[in-house]
Amino acid sequence: MNLIEAKSVNAYYGDNHVLKDISLDVEANTVTAFIGPSGCGKSTFLRTMNRMNDYIEGFRMDGSIIMDDQNIYDKSVRVEELRQKVGMVFQKPNPFPKTIFENVAYGLKIQGLKDKQKLAEVVEESLKKSALWDEVKDNLNKSALSLSGGQQQRLCIARTLAIEPSIILMDEPASALDPISTAKIEELIAQLKEDYTIVIVTHNMQQASRVSDKTAFFYMGDLVEYDKTKDLFTHPKNERTENYITGRFG
Amino acid sequence: MNNLDKNRLIDTSFKYFGIACTLFGLVVLAIFLVKIVIEGIHRIDWNFLANLPSRRPQKAGILTAWTGTAWILGLTAIISIPLGVAAGVYLEEYGKKNKLTTIIEINIANLAGVPSIIYGLLGLEIFVRTFKFGGSLLAGAFTLALLILPIIIVATREALKAVPSTLRQASFGMGATKWQTIWYQVLPASSGGILTGIILALSRAVGETAPLIVIGALAYVPFVAQSPMDEFTVLPMQIFNWVSRPQHGFVVNAAAAIIILLLITFVMNGIAIYLRNKWQKKVNW
Amino acid sequence: MTSSNALSNLDPELEALKLNLVDMLSLVNSQLAKCKEATMNADLDLAKEVMSIEKRVNSLDLAIDKDCENILALYTPVATDLRFVLASIKISNDLERIGDNAEGIAGLLIHVMEKAEDDMIAKFKLTEMFDVAISMLSDMEEAVENEDTILARQIFAKDEFLNENNKKADSVAKELIQTYPDSIKLILKLFSIVRKLERVGDLAKNIGEEVIFHIEAKVLKHKKDQKKKKK
Repeated sequence: MNLIEAKSVNAYYGDNHVLKDISLDVEANTVTAFIGPSGCGKSTFLRTMNRMNDYIEGFRMDGSIIMDDQNIYDKSVRVEELRQKVGMVFQKPNPFPKTIFENVAYGLKIQGLKDKQKLAEVVEESLKKSALWDEVKDNLNKSALSLSGGQQQRLCIARTLAIEPSIILMDEPASALDPISTAKIEELIAQLKEDYTIVIVTHNMQQASRVSDKTAFFYMGDLVEYDKTKDLFTHPKNERTENYITGRFG
Repeated sequence: MNNLDKNRLIDTSFKYFGIACTLFGLVVLAIFLVKIVIEGIHRIDWNFLANLPSRRPQKAGILTAWTGTAWILGLTAIISIPLGVAAGVYLEEYGKKNKLTTIIEINIANLAGVPSIIYGLLGLEIFVRTFKFGGSLLAGAFTLALLILPIIIVATREALKAVPSTLRQASFGMGATKWQTIWYQVLPASSGGILTGIILALSRAVGETAPLIVIGALAYVPFVAQSPMDEFTVLPMQIFNWVSRPQHGFVVNAAAAIIILLLITFVMNGIAIYLRNKWQKKVNW
Repeated sequence: MTSSNALSNLDPELEALKLNLVDMLSLVNSQLAKCKEATMNADLDLAKEVMSIEKRVNSLDLAIDKDCENILALYTPVATDLRFVLASIKISNDLERIGDNAEGIAGLLIHVMEKAEDDMIAKFKLTEMFDVAISMLSDMEEAVENEDTILARQIFAKDEFLNENNKKADSVAKELIQTYPDSIKLILKLFSIVRKLERVGDLAKNIGEEVIFHIEAKVLKHKKDQKKKKK
């Protein structure tokens, strides 16, 4: 079942044509990786899926992104609701300068949930799902900024999980982390796949090959190839894909 | 000598020059303080603080003056803080970055440099005459609020600017509206900077004399103000008044009053610094 | 085996690969066992079974190739994991050829259906050769499953036995032809079986070398003195 259907998406930063006629479907409960050299548009395309590009001056796009039978760029769509269904984890861990508890509870608080008991339950469950609970359960009132980089990123994942999205977008989630933290995040992604649908942008091809079910290769705004990860990495159909993944360029 | 030696010489010379400059300012301040304290500290007692002004220096006190200062501070704060912070938040978070907003930004910054007596004239015409507040605390507070408004706006904007965009992005990414993001994340994160700006602005207001003279604050007020519509005086005015009297007793009074005024200023600045440090420890990007 | 490997996706793949290898070893071993029975009892049906097992052996060979290709492409394994994948490719190759040999033996049995005299079998030491070959494969099955290099090293002595016997087969054949001049075809058949069993032994020895390479990173092939090693 397709959770996200992108149809003929073209995007521009001012006069710069950064996404050229992209059509791509994402299936439920899969991990899809976007790879490609810097500036190829993969992050821009990721952000079209939760309309985070709306904040960028001079950004415009045409085409449609369908979720739940509706184009998310319709005027009638409330963007706050969209973002509660489509969560995002950013490249550099960006926890709020508040306590660990407040970070995870934030998403529910802004939806109006006040019940302390319920909040505590959700916070605990989310921290367990993001494999951080054991490390912080005695210190929920400590500042989130006192955690290590890898822990902060898992905290960011926990707060996203707390609002129960169906889709999680990850923009190079491990690129600012050391190898052990990176491995922990990859393990987490493998576990989350059972309950969520994940789209991950990565510049690390080996990460894409380890972690994803399907991979999309972007180059200079074009979607060059989109296939099962196994097939793309063993016998890619497009020569540009082969050149990129063998390191012959980019 | 070779280049390395020359550079090291310049380095060392500047270090000592810097120390000298710093010491110069400190030494001058110290001399001033010591003089004032010697002159006036013995005059400060409970009577001095609790007495009304009088024609006889031994009986004169600063009750009306420091209560007037307190009133002015309070009223100015109530008027200027919400206006200034809201304006700063609007300009920084909601304003579109175009020519108009650039012009507004420049003008607000300029307003902070306008001589305070001009504000006094403005206040006289608008608050005293047109609104018919008369030479009251209300007129004085509004005038001073206008005076320090640009300072608060600029301080608020700077504090908001210092909040990294990744914080806002994280909040938006979770489905928060713009207002929720500002209220729950941006303002708390910038509160230290905003507060520091507010306190510094208010401590400026505490020392302003010229505009208050223009709007009609009196030099001789033998009663404590009871309501915002009352006439009033403030510490700087009282000091000015006493200094221009011939009797030596009043000079001593003035010195004592200056000490009180300095105390207030130092305490306010101290609070500002303390808050700023506390805030910086909590939030380290 | 719980994973201390943070690449939790890789370990299941390696486990699956190992299972396939062990399956293939077990299948080929069963082929040899059936060949032995068929030889002793001139059992045509058993011989035919060996031929049909060959299909499954070949499909396991292909599956193992694909597994290895995927693991290398997707996980870029290093160190022990890498050596395991490289060893698996070679082991499956060796097993496929052992399977071919077993198929060959079965083919011979079908082609020449006389029951052999006990005397002939005894002189060629066929029973012992089969037993040794089968035990070599059993050993290898266990060595791969348990990553046991001590067991792997025992294979060299057993291979020696097969080689020695193969050398003597020439003169044994001559002798038997003189004794049983009417059974030349049968004797030659048995002679061919001896040679095929010798080749099975060589291939099984290769498997032992690959296991040692995987676990100890020691390359023993093309070395003359590995049989002397005792660990």
